[in-house]
Amino acid sequence: MTWLRDLGLGIRFAAGGGREGWARTALTAVGVGLGVALLLTAASVPHLLTERSSRDRARAEVAASRDAVVPKSDTTVLRVNAATEYRGIGVEGFLMRAEGAHPVLPPGVEAFPGPGEMAASPALRELLASPEGALLKERLPYRVTSTIADPGLRSPHELYFYVGSDSLTPATGGHRLAGYGDDTPAEPLTPVLVVLVILICVVLLSPVAIFIATAVRFGGDRRDRRLAALRLVGTDIRTTRRIAAGEALFGSLLGLLAGLAFFLVGRRFIGHIELWNHSAFPSDLTPALWQAALIAVAVPLSAVLVTLVAMRSVAVEPLGVMRHTGSRRRRLWWRLLVPALGLAVLGLTGKVEEDAPVDPYPIAAGAVLVLFGLALLLPWLIEAGVSRLHGGAPAWQLAVRRLQLNSGAASRAVSGITVAVAGAVALQMLFAAVGDEFESMTGQDPSRAQFHTFSEKVTGDAAARTIEKFRATEGVERVIGTVETYVIKPGTFGEDEVTPTTSLTVGDCATLKELAEISSCEEGDSFVVHPRGDKELSDWVDETARKGEEVELNPAFGWDPKAKSVRWTLPADAATVTTSRDPIGLEHSGIMATVGAIDPRILPSAQTVAQIKVDEGVEDVAEYVRNTAARIDPGMRVATLASTERDRQYASVQTGLRLGAAATLLLIASSMLISQLEQLRERKRLLSVLVAFGTRRVTLGWSVLWQTAVPVTAGLLVAIAGGLGLGAVMTWMLDKTVTQWWLFLPMAGAGGALIVLVTLLSLPLLWRLMRPDGLRTE
Amino acid sequence: MTPAGSLLAAHDLHKTYGSTPALDGASFSVHPGEVVAVMGPSGSGKSTLLHCLAGIVTPDSGTVTYGGRELSAMSDAGRSALRRTDFGFVFQFGQLVPELTCVENVALPLRLNGVKRKEAEGTALEWMARLEVDDVAAKRPGEVSGGQGQRVAVARALVATPKVVFADEPTGALDSLNGERVMELLTESARTAGTAVVLVTHEARVAAYSDRDVVVRDGRCRDLEYAV
Repeated sequence: MTWLRDLGLGIRFAAGGGREGWARTALTAVGVGLGVALLLTAASVPHLLTERSSRDRARAEVAASRDAVVPKSDTTVLRVNAATEYRGIGVEGFLMRAEGAHPVLPPGVEAFPGPGEMAASPALRELLASPEGALLKERLPYRVTSTIADPGLRSPHELYFYVGSDSLTPATGGHRLAGYGDDTPAEPLTPVLVVLVILICVVLLSPVAIFIATAVRFGGDRRDRRLAALRLVGTDIRTTRRIAAGEALFGSLLGLLAGLAFFLVGRRFIGHIELWNHSAFPSDLTPALWQAALIAVAVPLSAVLVTLVAMRSVAVEPLGVMRHTGSRRRRLWWRLLVPALGLAVLGLTGKVEEDAPVDPYPIAAGAVLVLFGLALLLPWLIEAGVSRLHGGAPAWQLAVRRLQLNSGAASRAVSGITVAVAGAVALQMLFAAVGDEFESMTGQDPSRAQFHTFSEKVTGDAAARTIEKFRATEGVERVIGTVETYVIKPGTFGEDEVTPTTSLTVGDCATLKELAEISSCEEGDSFVVHPRGDKELSDWVDETARKGEEVELNPAFGWDPKAKSVRWTLPADAATVTTSRDPIGLEHSGIMATVGAIDPRILPSAQTVAQIKVDEGVEDVAEYVRNTAARIDPGMRVATLASTERDRQYASVQTGLRLGAAATLLLIASSMLISQLEQLRERKRLLSVLVAFGTRRVTLGWSVLWQTAVPVTAGLLVAIAGGLGLGAVMTWMLDKTVTQWWLFLPMAGAGGALIVLVTLLSLPLLWRLMRPDGLRTE
Repeated sequence: MTPAGSLLAAHDLHKTYGSTPALDGASFSVHPGEVVAVMGPSGSGKSTLLHCLAGIVTPDSGTVTYGGRELSAMSDAGRSALRRTDFGFVFQFGQLVPELTCVENVALPLRLNGVKRKEAEGTALEWMARLEVDDVAAKRPGEVSGGQGQRVAVARALVATPKVVFADEPTGALDSLNGERVMELLTESARTAGTAVVLVTHEARVAAYSDRDVVVRDGRCRDLEYAV
């Protein structure tokens, strides 16, 4: 009862403390509210990912038609993937042709698009209608007749389409589809990804918890003075603590409401926001009920606990408030114990097995202990560090002496950044170490060509013209264009015999020299190309590529009764050469011939392959290449060559980290700013006195900068050391080797930027407080 | 209009805060080395007059002339420089910087003027000895008594050998014994250094240390120098 009465009294003080009391409560509520909003957002992430994935799977091809031959029916659909890319953003879609009167419809589409008609996502529809989308419109010149509804889209800003076709056939690449909805179970995350996700959650949410703990102490100095006045009228120490807890409880309850309001308002607008090409539907952002309930209970409870712990270092006496920080030095041993315990937990957990399931709790507990341990180490380090600092200019002296007198507030403000940076450093190390698993070397060489195009539809005569069209495209420097087909050895072979087959590549001399080690080439030349160091395969090539003998150019001849034989004689003087790697990393063996030796127009089922080198200085050069490809064949695939190919799951985890780190750093910056502004307001009169002496603005400005820079630098040092330690242990757990120790540099840079940002944002208030009005007492 | 030989003079000052007039035609002057007490009841405009004289607050109308220069014509930077070099201040509660030690507080005006730390603190210690507080040099303001703190503040006001010291109720927070000792030391040191003192007080006992009294009432100031 006493407890409840005192808590109630505290709530009454917080609610009825006049303008100043309300300002303090509002500050706490806003701070806690920001933290709560971020926690609710984090709690919504699993639901968001599930919803996105389920919509993605709902529009995927049904497993039955993917794995087996589907007979044509009234509902089947032929479709070919027509995905493209526009200015670095993926545009996904399909060309589709209904085979009957009642074709199956993908989710979000009400009517099957007719020939030349397009069902587009709202974002694509808007882009195509705008001047910014002119080059894409050239590539997708269809009439937009309907809009894909939300159930058919992964996210609100996704660029997605379905186009109706009347010419698509299985022969021109059309794939028969019986229905939509991929119900095969999703692949579980690998153990390595589980560890990464655990660490990301710990790293991003720990600073939020620290921020909330800091927010409930906003305006603590004024509250302490009010409590001193209560002591004067006979309140005992325990009662004052409970009253303080009541004030914090009220602020945190308001913070919960504010957080809910921020979250709901933010959720309303989330559909309009796009960050790094990622967006979400408002309905996706829904936290699990039990997590929301946990937040609702944990936040006020933490507020009360934090206040009670904080009050232990303050002696509220009837004649004023005494802080113990000056007289009682902080002890190191127990502060070291916590991170050491964390490392021990991780060490005892041992290495994560490749195939065994991962128990997330010890890993999360170990990481939390290490990171919070660093936050505990920080006050000791700042105290020990600043006690050794002296001398310097007045601005430096003012800052250092201020920190020597009371470094607690500075430590609290910086502890968030320490935890965030330490975690980020550890994560970056982990990412670098496991990167090899997810970033496979593709063997592609972007310095020789940046694009690779391939079409099953463009054959024979058209194939040769295709290469010329690419060569004529703006910004294209060089095209390694070939017309490729398979040729067989003429004759009759038994059923159990494999028909000797090899590839035929037709191109000009310059092109052929890119694909094989050809020292001399003239129009009209032909070559037999052997793979490097593979005698068996070379012999297999020679079975078909017999110099002075005929080869069958129509590979269908022999099994397709309708196919006509087209013969060509491999010149007897054809040189034998060794293959070399093309820009996409492939080796071509078989027969190579110049256009003068064989006319590509006579090849019955040849395909066009082009590897294109462009001048990257030409704006939108990629779009010109893609538009040329689309003009030749809407189903032509255009791939961008890269030396590495990143695993999609891994890439999405990294994107999540980037988004979360940005939100966390902004939260930390706001926490530091609020603390800084509060300190400045507390010193209003003193600042006025310093102005009366004629103190320059710049002197006090520098003093504020040093007051931020010294603790942040100490925090960064702890964070980097701790982060490297945690990263090394986690890397060991995954049985990897630390490859990049310098990965902390970007985070150190972000910390530096934070110092400058907080200082710059503090200056307007500092300038305002430096007005002489502060000297007035009447 | 300015009384002959005056170091600092104000004429017909008007200053209003919101709708409340603080000064309503106040005039004032002080000569080099002179100690002038500005007296009057609470809320009469004494502190506002002092702030206008020191160039901390700009009056709505009227002029403040120091050494032949009009303060209102000077830039903020110019007035700040003047306060660093020619003026010193003592406030009711000392207003020492809590995180600096007492000697660092006293040395602060010199440091702000670009004097090196050791030299500034050496001079500060001399002044602290004169004001009998050299024994608390290494302590922080929170660790010394009110009387000691106020003497440290006086030392800080005098350390840069200013031409004028502005003292706003310098004994307001002290008991009578301590208050008298502070006044003795302030006026004695100022007279020795040839420093003029503008002393705002409502206590006749404190005003007794001055050479001349000026009374402020309802924002108006009766300075007999102007009547001459």
